[in-house]
Amino acid sequence: MRRSVLDLSVGLFLIIGLLAVGWLSVKLGRVDLLGGRGYVVSADFPTVGGLKAGSPVEIAGVQIGSVDAINLVDDQARVVMSIRSGIKLQDDSIASIKTKGLIGEKYIRISPGGSDRSIPPNGRIKEVEPPVDLEELLSKYVFGKV
Amino acid sequence: MTRIRLCAVMLAALLATLTALEAAAGPPTDQLKGAIDRVVKIVEDPSLKGDDRVADRRAAVRKIADEIFDFNEIARRALARHWQPLTDKQRAEFVSLFSDLLERSYMSKIELYGGEKIQYVGERVDGEIATVATRIVTKNGTEVPIDYRLLKKGDRWLVYDVNIEGVSLVSNYRTQFNKIIQTASFEDLIQKLRAKQVELTADDQSKGTKVTPVKK
Repeated sequence: MRRSVLDLSVGLFLIIGLLAVGWLSVKLGRVDLLGGRGYVVSADFPTVGGLKAGSPVEIAGVQIGSVDAINLVDDQARVVMSIRSGIKLQDDSIASIKTKGLIGEKYIRISPGGSDRSIPPNGRIKEVEPPVDLEELLSKYVFGKV
Repeated sequence: MTRIRLCAVMLAALLATLTALEAAAGPPTDQLKGAIDRVVKIVEDPSLKGDDRVADRRAAVRKIADEIFDFNEIARRALARHWQPLTDKQRAEFVSLFSDLLERSYMSKIELYGGEKIQYVGERVDGEIATVATRIVTKNGTEVPIDYRLLKKGDRWLVYDVNIEGVSLVSNYRTQFNKIIQTASFEDLIQKLRAKQVELTADDQSKGTKVTPVKK
């Protein structure tokens, strides 16, 4: 009888431990088990520079979503991002790929528009700004002048 | 018989290439190209050259700009959420000030035109919105990509945003206007635009006075 109580507590402890490890890996790996809360929109960019899946999507510096996937469609980069529910994006919102600091990570900044129509779930942000390629600009305007 | 069939095949191929060519450069590109060609013609027109003809030249360019640009749409998008609460009178005043600022600041750049090549590299139509990608090739070979975003209004395509090197005009002004309105007010923005207008007018006039003594 004594023995079985001990076995049971060890088993329970193990299960709780496993659950904790599972929770930790989901949290740390930013895995959306239930597809996340919110809705999905996409945007086509001529280039995405160093943007990656998982990069943040921000309005006024506040994170409102993240990049789910980046695919190549018609020689353009289609960025699929999930936006927190409750955040409305007007259909003239502009999505720009920006860099944190001079050489920091890339993120998507959305500047909200003023239109009264908003982008539906699975809709598309039509106004985009690709990242500014500093190196290319430098070589063009500094070394380009002969 | 085979000859007739060959002729038919060739004719079909010819028709297919013709329609393909037409599809590649649709109405947005045609209308934009028409306007740009007319502007280039004005800037290169010898009878309109010289600093004493500045006013005529600018009036002519401005007329074309008014035809191809949708300044109302540009102003609405640039003000974004600050546009809704405005009265019609405020909107009209803002549109006229903003379009004047745009025209004045870009006019001087247009006048620097000296035979740079303008290439039309592509067109994408997505419902009511079209993107026409162009490239300006300077004499030393630098290529500057300029993308025009056009909106369909009836059978005309009007420009509502210009993207130079990936930087959007609307986005640039939206950030600036938002900052001014949030830290000060809409009235303040109007005042700033007016001050800028006066400044640019003074610039133009000083240019005029500088040149007239030389001409005499």
